[in-house]
Amino acid sequence: MKKFNLNGLIGGILIAALVIVAGIGLVWTPFDPMKLSFTARLAPPSAIHLLGTDEFGRDVLSRLMIGARASVWIGFLTVAFATICGTLIGLVSGYARGWVDGVIMAVNNALLAFPGILLALGLLAVFGANQYGIIFALGIAYTPSMARVVRGAVLSLREREFIEASRVMGNGELYTMFRHILPNCLAPITVLATSMFGWAILSESALSFLGLGVPPPAPTWGNMLAAGRPLIQQAVWLGLFPGLCITLTLLGINLLGDALRDRLDPRMRGLK
Amino acid sequence: MSGPTKDTLLSVRDLSLEVARTGHSVVKEISFEISSGEIFGIVGESGSGKTLATRAMISLLPPAIKVSGGSVAYKGREVLTMNDRELRRLRGAEVGVVFQEPMTSLNPSMTIGRQLEEGLILHTELSADERRERILDMLRRVGIREPEGALAAYPHEFSGGMRQRIMLASVMLLKPALLIADEPTTALDAVIQRDVMELMVDLTRAEGTAVLLISHDLPMVARYTSRIVVMEKGSIVEHGRTEDLLEAPQHPYTKKLLSSLPFRGEPRVVDMSKAPMVSAQNIVVDYPGRKSLLKRATAKRALHGVSIDIHEGEVVALVGGSGSGKTTLGRTIAGLVEESEGQIRFQGRARDADWQDYRMNCQMVFQDPYSSLDPRMTILALVEEALRLVPNLDTAAKKKRALETLEEVGLGTDYASRYPHELSGGQRQRVAIARAIARRPRFLIADEPVSALDVTVRAQVLDLFSGLQKRYGFSCLFISHDLGVVEQVADRVIVMQDGRIIEEGDRDRIFDNPREAYTRRLLSAIPALDHNERGGVTLKWRLENEA
Repeated sequence: MKKFNLNGLIGGILIAALVIVAGIGLVWTPFDPMKLSFTARLAPPSAIHLLGTDEFGRDVLSRLMIGARASVWIGFLTVAFATICGTLIGLVSGYARGWVDGVIMAVNNALLAFPGILLALGLLAVFGANQYGIIFALGIAYTPSMARVVRGAVLSLREREFIEASRVMGNGELYTMFRHILPNCLAPITVLATSMFGWAILSESALSFLGLGVPPPAPTWGNMLAAGRPLIQQAVWLGLFPGLCITLTLLGINLLGDALRDRLDPRMRGLK
Repeated sequence: MSGPTKDTLLSVRDLSLEVARTGHSVVKEISFEISSGEIFGIVGESGSGKTLATRAMISLLPPAIKVSGGSVAYKGREVLTMNDRELRRLRGAEVGVVFQEPMTSLNPSMTIGRQLEEGLILHTELSADERRERILDMLRRVGIREPEGALAAYPHEFSGGMRQRIMLASVMLLKPALLIADEPTTALDAVIQRDVMELMVDLTRAEGTAVLLISHDLPMVARYTSRIVVMEKGSIVEHGRTEDLLEAPQHPYTKKLLSSLPFRGEPRVVDMSKAPMVSAQNIVVDYPGRKSLLKRATAKRALHGVSIDIHEGEVVALVGGSGSGKTTLGRTIAGLVEESEGQIRFQGRARDADWQDYRMNCQMVFQDPYSSLDPRMTILALVEEALRLVPNLDTAAKKKRALETLEEVGLGTDYASRYPHELSGGQRQRVAIARAIARRPRFLIADEPVSALDVTVRAQVLDLFSGLQKRYGFSCLFISHDLGVVEQVADRVIVMQDGRIIEEGDRDRIFDNPREAYTRRLLSAIPALDHNERGGVTLKWRLENEA
């Protein structure tokens, strides 16, 4: 009980801090994140530029604050997209079984066989590299794994007697699916969704790194990390701080996700 | 009690066990002795500590439990202080164990031959040929047909009863001096249960092996043992010769266990002149077989044209061993399995003509209270859900009805907001019953509703069921493999075997004058009880060939 509280609390603080910083970034940043300054190029962290400046003299802290919004927004929408689509597909597939399941799972497995990032790359080539293109591409790339996990959970649940009890009560298939099966799938869905959030932020970084992400000069943590790479010898802070932001966000999301899963499960709640 | 004698095989003195982390005591100072060649019983319900106590005797306690006092001496040697080498020599060779679950106690990825050989390689110096001879001989003795073929087979190719025979063979191969059998037949149906027990007794008697038989089933233990201890909440509450303990029980808990045994209910008059409420005619059910590349799927026939009628207010019991088709028939009538042929009529009309009406009036209670309730819903929500589709009842009235129904099954309003995992098995089954009767159905299908429950809880749930049946007068199809329970609740009994009905008749006729050999076999698995005024009973076992 105590351990669960502590982990959840740490996760909550990390995520709250992230949201607050991203929120402040909307209205105020220490410097204009786009403003170039040739007098302050590659300045190390100091009292004026808390986290230093990049090769164009832009303030790193200000850019991280703006970038937080883009990264978190992309991560959140990607996970929402993949979770909703994947859950629906998995539910239908597992509950209907038969040929419906066969067809859906054949397509799903074919997509799964593709590395997610490669699939996203292909899709981005079609949709064009911008924020919503990335969300759509990553969302599609992550949907199959969610569908698979949900289907597995549904398959084992539908053999349980309370599903039959629901049928004997005369409840419709849709009702049974959403009232009895979906809530009991929540644990694996939460676990996967939280880790997916991490993958999404990392993939966005990777895509930005490859030049297929949000186009510069708009900052995301990913393209900042990418931009800092060639200068790692002279200005370690350029790569260090965006990397740290990504790491802490992932840690926070994972801790919070675990706590959330326990919280949502009545079986874990009463334990003393 | 007398001190250890020359004949004493196992002597347990003041053994206490506790949960290592919390110091919570789970077994409290139990003492008993087992002599060579004796069959000794431990009886207790779940949570009585009987399994932990026996595990301590071979130092196989789960890591969370530790011994907090006492001693266990096997042939005068202290077991609790033995090192791993000594323990390995003790287990198997001297003390054999048969566990409850034949599905998991054999390794699924090893052939039967390899598994049986393991113990012989470890504990004897026999050559490969001698081992093979001994294994084949033992498999023959436990009644495995074609033992040569069985050697190369895997556990999943055998039924539960056969697996338990193989398990027994693997233990008896080493000719142990003591056999510990922990609920050895609980997972099996009544007839097979008896066969396995008789086999166990014959084998151990022939080898001079003593048996420690642990079970919740007092009559079964009493049938085979000479002495019994009764455990409750970690303590031994009564200890004595089997007949004395049964006929003149001293402790209230023993009396309670005995009075919880099923008894024959009062015969009731059911009006059979009217048309039956539920009528299933010539029901055939085929399960699709497995398809393969070369072979077309061959269907497996589970029911071969079965017909039953159930009248208004009548409780009809459907009995038979596993695989007899009784559950399939119940599920077919409930509409969970589709019939290939035949027709089901409800209140004079075809069932399929008005499903909504049928669903309103036909409900079901399932066997396993752990899986029949949605773990994410509160008790109140579970019962309310049953009223969701009931017309002409507003939300407030539904809630009121749900609470009343909970009250009726003996669960007060303070249970309403709890979740299933917070309830015991018996309480959960009460919730399942509440859910089934909340709609006031005219017809109830109960599939092994009390098989998963402890003896005393089973008696309470059966009482509840009879009370509700009397009050609401619903008809019931009561499916069970346990004839004792059936004797208590049924008006009429239908016996099934291999997907066919082989005998049917009034309860008293079936129990007093069974016609078919299979019915007699089923009956030989349960005792006839004779209660005396001291709170004790005399058990009489029906013989298989008795008419």
